Amino acid sequence: MDNDGGGSESSRQVQVRFVTKLNPPYKAPPSSISIPANFARFGLSALLNNLLQAGNADWEAEPFDFLIDGELVRMSLEEFLLAKGISTEKILQIEYIKAIVPKREEEPCSHDDWVSSVDGSKDGYILTGCYDGFGRIWRTGGICTHLLDGHSGPVTSVCILKPKADNVGDQIVATASKDKALRLWKFVLEDSIDQPKKVRAFKILRGHTGAVQSMAAEPSGEMVCSGSWDCTVNLWNIDAQVEDNMVSLKKRRKNTEDEELQSEGEALSTLVGHTQCVSSVIWPQHETIYSASWDHSIRRWDVETGEENLRMSCGKVINCLDIGGESSTLIAAGGSDPILRIWDPRKPGTLSPIFQFSSHNSWITSCKWHKKSWFHLVSASYDGKVMLWDLRTAWPLAVIDSHKDKVFCADWWKNDAVVSGGADSKLRISSGISVQ
Amino acid sequence: MGKKAQKEAIDSQKPKIDKQRKKIENLRVKNIEETLSRIKEAEEAEVESSEESPFDSDSEDDETVSESGAEHSQGSEDEEDVHSDEGDNPRTTGSDDDDRGNGDDASDDDNNDAEGKLDESEDTREIVEESDSSEDEVVPRNTIGDVPLEWYKDEEHIGYDLSGKKIKKKERQSKLDSFLASADDSKNWRKIYDEYNDEEVELTKEETKLVSRLLNGKAPHADFDPYAPYVDWFAWDGAKHPISNAPEPKRRFIPSKWESKKVAQFVRAIRKGLIKFDDKPKEEPRVYALWDDDSTADRQGLAYIPAPKPKLPGHDESYNPSPEYIPTQEEVNSYQLMFEEDRPKFIPKQFKSLRGVPAYEKSVQETFDRCLDLYLCPRVRKKRINIDPESLKPKLPNRKDLKPYPTTRYLEYKGHKGPVTSISTEPTGEWIASGSKDGTVRIWEVETGRCLRIWDLGDAIDEVAWNPLPALSILAVAVGQDVFLLNTRLGNDEEQEKIEELLHFQPQKITDDNDIGASIVDWCQYDKHGGIRLKHFKAVTKVEWHRKGDYLSTLAPSGESRSVLIHQLSKKLTQRIPFRTKGIPVSTAFHPTRSIFFTATKKNVRVYDLLKQKLVKKLDAGVREISSIAIHPSGDNAIVGSKDGKLCWFDMDLSSRPYKVLRCHSKDITGVAYHRSYPLFASCSDDCTAYVFHGMVYSDLNQNPLIVPLEILRGHASADGRGVLDCKFHPKQPWLFTAGADSLIKLYCH
Repeated sequence: MDNDGGGSESSRQVQVRFVTKLNPPYKAPPSSISIPANFARFGLSALLNNLLQAGNADWEAEPFDFLIDGELVRMSLEEFLLAKGISTEKILQIEYIKAIVPKREEEPCSHDDWVSSVDGSKDGYILTGCYDGFGRIWRTGGICTHLLDGHSGPVTSVCILKPKADNVGDQIVATASKDKALRLWKFVLEDSIDQPKKVRAFKILRGHTGAVQSMAAEPSGEMVCSGSWDCTVNLWNIDAQVEDNMVSLKKRRKNTEDEELQSEGEALSTLVGHTQCVSSVIWPQHETIYSASWDHSIRRWDVETGEENLRMSCGKVINCLDIGGESSTLIAAGGSDPILRIWDPRKPGTLSPIFQFSSHNSWITSCKWHKKSWFHLVSASYDGKVMLWDLRTAWPLAVIDSHKDKVFCADWWKNDAVVSGGADSKLRISSGISVQ
Repeated sequence: MGKKAQKEAIDSQKPKIDKQRKKIENLRVKNIEETLSRIKEAEEAEVESSEESPFDSDSEDDETVSESGAEHSQGSEDEEDVHSDEGDNPRTTGSDDDDRGNGDDASDDDNNDAEGKLDESEDTREIVEESDSSEDEVVPRNTIGDVPLEWYKDEEHIGYDLSGKKIKKKERQSKLDSFLASADDSKNWRKIYDEYNDEEVELTKEETKLVSRLLNGKAPHADFDPYAPYVDWFAWDGAKHPISNAPEPKRRFIPSKWESKKVAQFVRAIRKGLIKFDDKPKEEPRVYALWDDDSTADRQGLAYIPAPKPKLPGHDESYNPSPEYIPTQEEVNSYQLMFEEDRPKFIPKQFKSLRGVPAYEKSVQETFDRCLDLYLCPRVRKKRINIDPESLKPKLPNRKDLKPYPTTRYLEYKGHKGPVTSISTEPTGEWIASGSKDGTVRIWEVETGRCLRIWDLGDAIDEVAWNPLPALSILAVAVGQDVFLLNTRLGNDEEQEKIEELLHFQPQKITDDNDIGASIVDWCQYDKHGGIRLKHFKAVTKVEWHRKGDYLSTLAPSGESRSVLIHQLSKKLTQRIPFRTKGIPVSTAFHPTRSIFFTATKKNVRVYDLLKQKLVKKLDAGVREISSIAIHPSGDNAIVGSKDGKLCWFDMDLSSRPYKVLRCHSKDITGVAYHRSYPLFASCSDDCTAYVFHGMVYSDLNQNPLIVPLEILRGHASADGRGVLDCKFHPKQPWLFTAGADSLIKLYCH
């Protein structure tokens, strides 16, 4: 079929002009050229590389992706234009961007048990939570610098807090665990260590009556919220210098001499409303918290009043949730089916997803928006695959299937790498992803 | 045939035709003469009439000659009358009666004045209506009567008038003149010669029409309505008296004498043999079409199916077929390699003459086969009712409308080394416990499939049951003759303390309660894993918690009267159920809301009220052997799985017989389960499948439960002839866990 079409239609030409927002070495001559209509992405990429090489002798070939009318070209130009109803009479403006593909697979970070959660929001290190109850700090090259020791159950969620302005050197991270508690940790980044340094929590947040399933930090890093199997979302203050806690602090010192300063905190407030396990919480802005639950709903809470002001029902158990995309308002969520859904809560009237990505084969366990891009997402699934998505096409940009077993968590790191951990006890780092 | 003959025939006819022509011409000439003479006479008559009655206007073209004649004859008589009337009264012809009758009726006359002249036809009609015969209308001038006119042929006169004077014959016109006159006169076709009165009559338009109507066979008068509604002037009803008051004559009552005479005559004739009946059947023609298509002509019953015809011989069966029909030797040899069924039965051969054809060696065999075919093949029309099979299907709602229900397998819980016999979900749905034949009990995280905890109890696990209270995460495990109560250590510290306390057992208590229960079951602390061990005297197959989490029932099928025991955890007490059970119990269940206890034996299910301590109901499943039972969360419905693969739904308010029996599994049903909140139930079987059904129970008692099969869940592999050993719904999600003999637990999600 395809060959036949190519044979008979080979004479068919399309007038195109390549445009880009990339910087000068990537700029192609602005003249319009005529190309065969049966070119697909690969052909276009090869053509563009040739063009660039003609202008620049020491050009190294690089894959490109092509956008026509804000949609990525994923078939032959001819089919694409036919499907979109674009006229071939005019000169076609094709915008090209660098193709999003992981170029390198870094050394995996081996854990002792399943990797349940990962946070790559800091460029300097990666924080992971593990089923052996430890949190770990990783640096590039698979070096574990710190071991966060203290939880009595598997760590389910981790997050890196924004450091205080007056104390930049100290890194504060938080972990949540199946032992119903959250722990806060403080450490100083060190350049080279032979042995991972054990860190004790400086604060334990108790108050949940069920396993803590997820956790998120307030953007300024002063508070954290956590969702739990007891169907509640708790808000916690992490300020260590609160006078009230000194009593418990002293007590603790008496009991165990060698232990470091440990204080206990209680929940500042509780957001009640979910009827089942709160599987994911997100705190994108100071005043709003999003939570997703096994009761099939996604809710938005006003932090000041503690009331929910948006409820969306999706019909499936939701495992992961993230806010991002266009002006940080789109809600991406994955759950107990292989479909990654994206809602636009600003859209009035309807609560149906605006995008559905269904290339996974099993439950989606994690989804994260790229911090800088409005279009890019990463998702992880029980089918062992991590997929990169662009809102402008329904097909995944790239599939990372280096994991041998279920993948539980994935995140962007340093804006150009994807870190993911799973049931094969490895933290995989795929880097060289050039998202603008 | 030659044209000559035709010509001859025509020639022979020619003189005849000529003769006829001549005759016609003669007649015509004669007629012309007559008409001419008539015209003359008429002219004379007209002159006379115009003289005598000036009121007869010339304008009356339509007036017939005869009428004018009549007018003429009557003129003198009517003259006085006419003159006595108003002078300008226009006279109408032949209206003598009218005039006479109307003499004293002025108003009628006035009417005539107005209309008479305008509408001639009306007048004539009136005449027709009021006169009975044509004789009234035209007084015959000739009075000879009805005698042959030949008698006057040679006379000078044609007859006599009323006064006895001779009426002279009119002068005859020459035939040529009359012909010319008739040719000139356009009205000639209307003119008829009246021989009797020796005059020419010109028919009026009305008369010609009347004649044409007569010719067409219609009623002569145009206004006559042949289909006028019948008016029964002589209607009997309503009349007081019968037409005839005569008594019924006798002849009405006695048999006819003449009929009997005639019959006697026939009888005598038949006896004498004078009358013979042709009772011999008609002889059929001996010949019939040998190769006719159908022979149903003589057997026309609807059910008759003609025997199939044997195949007709073709060219290849000829004694001297064309060479292309004769197989070569190679072909004949190749026939031997074929299967006997495929081999051709007849090989064409060529013979020089019909004399050389030998006797057909297979004729007897083929005749016999044919007879066998005819005899053994039952040519009976099968009666089939014309019903659309689709219409027989029960009307069920669409599966899509009944979502959510488990459809797809997403997670597997791997780790057991032997068939997983039992699973139980934690009330919040975070964990699931499983027991296997490898002797281990495992707790799994539902979300990820991670094995959290393993207890090795050393013997094949029969049943695990999670305490229904979320705060008491205690697991009851039936292993061999023991029931273990294990602490899962999942609760928080406070709950843990409570659980520890509950699972702590002081041995001295047992001596105080010197009860029957003590002799049946031995409570003791289980140190290895922390918990309580209940030693039974027989193998325990089933453990079930009461909804309040304090009582649990154990089932030891071979324990006879002590087979079903109820233990109280808080008091560490054991008691028998206070009922006698008949048969070997296979499964037990607590009522989800009331203090009612279900015991399933192999044949039936007994429902006991624990408070009143009596048998409430006996459910008869009518299956070979009950294997499992589950109670609907509302408590009024139950499903029972049997070892012959049948699933029975009991509506306990409705009947003690199954409301519906679903034959879905091909092998033993091993477990049945209801969902706590969704209208779902499931069954699993040794045929490696689990079925999910929609089972909606309505609060309206008049509405029967709606049962819709939804999904067949496959995926488990068979091991040692066993398939899926247990199935449980997730307590909050529409998900189904299945435990298989292939040592896997699978989770099916919506």
